[in-house]
Amino acid sequence: MLRRKNYFKQLLLSLGLVLFAFIGLLGTITPVHAADNSLQRIKQKGVIVMGTSPDYPPYEFITKVNGKNKVVGMDVQVAQQIAKDLGVKLEIKQMDFDSLLVALETHKVDMVLSAMTPTETRKQSVDFSEPYYHARQSIIVRKQDKRLYKNKDSFKGKTVGVQTGSLQQNLANKQMKGTKKKGLTKVTDLILSLETNKIEGIVAEDAVAQAYVANDSRLASIDAGFDLGGDETGTAIAFAKHSDSLVNQVNQSLDKIKAKHLTKQYLASAGKYMATNTQNVSMFHYWTYFAKGIGYTLLITAIAVVIGIILGTLFAMGRLSKRTFIHYPAVWYIEFVRGTPLMIQVMFVYFGVGMLWNNIPAFFAGVVAVALNSAAYVAEIIRGGIDSVPTGQVEAARSLGMSHRDAMQTVVLPQAVKIIWPSLGNEFISLIKESSIVSIIGVTDLIYQLRAVQAATYRGVAPIAVAMIIYFIITFTLSRILNRAERKMQHD
Amino acid sequence: MTEMLKVENLTKTFGENKVLRGIDGTVNSGQVIVVIGPSGGGKSTFLRCLNLLEKPTSGKVSFEGTDLTGLSEKALDDIREKMGMVFQSFNLFSNMNVLDNLTLAPKRVKNEAEAKAQTHAIELLEKVGLADKKAAYPDSLSGGQQQRVAIARALAMDPDVMLFDEPTSALDPEMVGEVLKVMQDLASDGMTMVVVTHEMGFARQVANEVWFMDGGNIAEKGTPEQIFDHPQNERTKDFLSKVLAQ
Ligand SMILES: Nc1ncnc2c1ncn2[C@@H]1O[C@H](COP(=O)(O)OP(=O)(O)O)[C@@H](O)[C@H]1O
Ligand SMILES: [Mg+2]
Repeated sequence: MLRRKNYFKQLLLSLGLVLFAFIGLLGTITPVHAADNSLQRIKQKGVIVMGTSPDYPPYEFITKVNGKNKVVGMDVQVAQQIAKDLGVKLEIKQMDFDSLLVALETHKVDMVLSAMTPTETRKQSVDFSEPYYHARQSIIVRKQDKRLYKNKDSFKGKTVGVQTGSLQQNLANKQMKGTKKKGLTKVTDLILSLETNKIEGIVAEDAVAQAYVANDSRLASIDAGFDLGGDETGTAIAFAKHSDSLVNQVNQSLDKIKAKHLTKQYLASAGKYMATNTQNVSMFHYWTYFAKGIGYTLLITAIAVVIGIILGTLFAMGRLSKRTFIHYPAVWYIEFVRGTPLMIQVMFVYFGVGMLWNNIPAFFAGVVAVALNSAAYVAEIIRGGIDSVPTGQVEAARSLGMSHRDAMQTVVLPQAVKIIWPSLGNEFISLIKESSIVSIIGVTDLIYQLRAVQAATYRGVAPIAVAMIIYFIITFTLSRILNRAERKMQHD
Repeated sequence: MTEMLKVENLTKTFGENKVLRGIDGTVNSGQVIVVIGPSGGGKSTFLRCLNLLEKPTSGKVSFEGTDLTGLSEKALDDIREKMGMVFQSFNLFSNMNVLDNLTLAPKRVKNEAEAKAQTHAIELLEKVGLADKKAAYPDSLSGGQQQRVAIARALAMDPDVMLFDEPTSALDPEMVGEVLKVMQDLASDGMTMVVVTHEMGFARQVANEVWFMDGGNIAEKGTPEQIFDHPQNERTKDFLSKVLAQ
């Protein structure tokens, strides 16, 4: 009892210290803007990075061009014009809509074009260009229900869907008081909810609504009839704060686009891509999407497994060590990682660590986060395995003059591995499933590709079913292989 | 006769529990010391303090003139290779076959070449009568066979002294003899040995000295004749009458 209390106090104290140090660190690295060199920086780099969430046709969506997946849409064409005027190359980074502004603040992207409306709240954390497109707001409904609704006020007592973090969510919250709102990240999920009668309508920009209606015969749209004031109707480009020189330069490009009415042309060419996308909605047609997703999912898992085992072994040894300066850090690490969700860890590595290392690739961040997470679980499995090897085995080795380390390597670990093999196998299989969380930072794993196919085909359920079956085939095959290996090992 | 092991005022405490209360004793080269005494009297702890598997609380343990109590783990590893130990529960490495059990430490600790280690191992297996079992895994052997392999494993390091902690206590009665025979041969070859055992016949035949240990002290020391035929201490008498009555 005495020991336990002591240990707990030490643990709390040290945890507090670590947190303190960390918060202090974050505080000091908040970027300081002495002078605005945003334009100069882009020109020096020779490339401008655009962040977008490509699930929002016709603004931005994924299509296959010459057999390759590509982000296209009006926003992409606007960005291309801007890059051209700046004399730099355009690079596109894909991520969840919710992550876009954080990516700007952490300098993962230079600008965000994602059908974003410059609201007052957003203006507090980022700078905006002039609006380049003015859209009306619509509500997507099921075709057979169209006559039931006139405008936003017809939905009293019903539920409508909105994209989380969007202008439409804001508008609906303010101007559709008697209506329940259901927020989802992806428009494709909202469409699915509508088609399966979970919601009665989706508040969306007119261009988006038209796109879905044109490509899905079960849908129709009505004018939402919101009271809109000033900028709230427009779509603009977001930049990190204090980027005046870059914003001014970009505004010149936008003026040109407006003067020539180029957005109309852009929307038309986006419509063409959408038409080719929906020509063939068979899932087989999209096999390259899924294949790429499988590849990434397996690659992430494989790398994470290897790192997880190596680090997990070290952490397990650390936790078993009698030296306090090794023991406690290992304990904190294991407890902390097991006590926080993987999703937050992934975001922390990408955005948090990204503050120290600007160009951290999403794939790298995702793999690192999953591997570090797995290491904690593997450490506990290994510790259990080591604990279950009789102490007499180490004593015998030590009595022969072998070092502790040698005894661990040659005698204890090989026996522990045999014992823990089944639990390790389970851990790997669950890793395949759990690694799907990296899709939130734009790693193109299987889940991400599932989203892409949903957006491209305007079909909600079929891609889900395909992804589910693929996951099952992978995990089932793997568990068979592991079982076989286990049986073989027990025979040795 | 040179001093191999010397213990001075050795104590060991686990928490509040004083397990060794000041032990003195000397083991000379070539001697066989048999330690007897009631269960819980501290015999195993004493033996484990000799090669520092257990860290003494106070006192000195000297091996071939070196005090071990102040040595680093690294230096202790070098000492331990010269002190073989045989455990009640055999403790053969269950992930290796018999031959690998014997060659592991010579290869890892003494950097012996595979071929040399194997030749030596086979010699030792022949000595304990188990050369035909070199490819077997421990769990396929009987207790008596496992213990003989364990003895051979300790011998593979060419130790100067062998420590035995109740090597026959976990064995079925019919297997006790084969293990004692190996130990007896070892003693006649001149090996220095410290043996904790309840086998009084073995003690009487093989021991140069018998130490009776009880309650963390060595209550009485003497030749087998002195201890078994003319015990002086009341507790020795009591213990012997109980053991011999069985
Ligand atoms: N690692 C340990 N931790 C705590 N107590 C121990 C430990 N090892 C032995 N003891 C205690 O020391 C005493 C003597 O044990 P031991 O040396 O095994 O006696 P013997 O071998 O004579 O039966 C016992 O009371 C036992 O409970
Ligand atoms: Mg004992």
